[in-house]
Amino acid sequence: MRRALLVLALLVLALLFGASAAYAQTLTFPQQTGRVTDDAGILDSATRAALVEKLAGLEARNTDQLFVVTVKSLQGYAIEDYANRMFRQWGIGQRDKNNGVLLLVAPSDRKVRIEVGYGLEGTLTDAITKLIIENAIIPRFKANDFPGGITRGVDNLVGLLLGENSAQNIAAQKSAGESKAIPVMAVFLTIWFLIAGWIFYMMHRRGLGGGGSNYSSGNHSSSSWSSSSSSSSSSSSSSSSGGGGSSGGGGSSGSW
Amino acid sequence: MAFSATFARFIRIPILAAMLGLLLSGCGVNNIPSHEESAKAKWSDVQNQYQRRADLIPNLIETVKGFAAQERTVLEAVTAARANATSIKISPEIINDPEAFKKFQEAQAQLSGALGRLIAVSERYPELKSNQNFLTLQSQLEGTENRIAVARRDYIEAVRVYNTELRTFPGVIWASTLYKSNKPMETFTTATDLSRPPQVRF
Repeated sequence: MRRALLVLALLVLALLFGASAAYAQTLTFPQQTGRVTDDAGILDSATRAALVEKLAGLEARNTDQLFVVTVKSLQGYAIEDYANRMFRQWGIGQRDKNNGVLLLVAPSDRKVRIEVGYGLEGTLTDAITKLIIENAIIPRFKANDFPGGITRGVDNLVGLLLGENSAQNIAAQKSAGESKAIPVMAVFLTIWFLIAGWIFYMMHRRGLGGGGSNYSSGNHSSSSWSSSSSSSSSSSSSSSSGGGGSSGGGGSSGSW
Repeated sequence: MAFSATFARFIRIPILAAMLGLLLSGCGVNNIPSHEESAKAKWSDVQNQYQRRADLIPNLIETVKGFAAQERTVLEAVTAARANATSIKISPEIINDPEAFKKFQEAQAQLSGALGRLIAVSERYPELKSNQNFLTLQSQLEGTENRIAVARRDYIEAVRVYNTELRTFPGVIWASTLYKSNKPMETFTTATDLSRPPQVRF
């Protein structure tokens, strides 16, 4: 009897320790408010509404989920780390396709990141997300035009995801700004991007295709990251919450 | 009547077997193998990402050479570190072998350091910095370093779960009976600062 009690006490202790270990490294994310979460308060309501409409339209057309999030603070984390954890916690993108994208802006840290889900790494390569950040977003952020920079970045991303804009165009925007005689380079870059994209796509289909769902399920079973919102798991895919997608750190970051 | 009795007896066996199966899986008999497989999968992802980085390097070196051939020591350090890192024969057993794992980790850390110096040096060459090919390679390198960081984090977490299962109740019962050959896995020890992507300014 005493022994049983001792075992029971030990079990309770173990549970308590487990719980405290899980709470020790808690990173809290802002309350998710649909596809646009403006925790830092840098978007006016008109821009916000326009963004929400664009993002909902994108998801309606090809199920790709693009979330825009601004945060007050990165809580001491590197933006790459923060973005990846947030992406997985919220499960951006459809579970079976991992087709989510997160545009994260931290104005107080002067950092921005585009985090790309596994399934879109072929379309939104590291190089093209870097170009979007450097050409479309950062120049406007430098002029304190946050709504403009975010809108332009989202437009570029949505254009690429819907196949209405090409990597060539986005690369050319920079070339046009810097010098005139670059068409050869633009052609070269396009071919390069196409090949790289195709290779990534093929690699993805073979290597990571099965891994994708594996990652997202593994991600759900880990309970050490608690969030102030628990909406991601409770509501179904028809609403504007994440569909369970995952990311492995694809994309690019920048600072201004 | 007799028919239904025989039928009941026949159907009872699979039901009992199924219930026994449920009971066993309920108390975690499958946990050790499934955690092990999950950790192995995460490990192969870590290796993939390191491989991807190694594959980027020859191109990067060629591009830098075109503009800054005089930086021979830095370029040679990267080439040597890459050769060293890729020469380590990687077998699945490496995650159970502390010595081999340490060697692998050190070789990759050395390559990270050499690459960081190469990127820092290239800051001094404006023509190189504005070269499109270099910019593309640089963003890919950054992305790969970041993927390595994520893959390492996932692996560390998977190993933690697996090793914990081996040493805690009820897993410890299965570990000492059914899965005696399962050993704890090695994990990364270097400070995460070392694995941060080299910071690059455009």
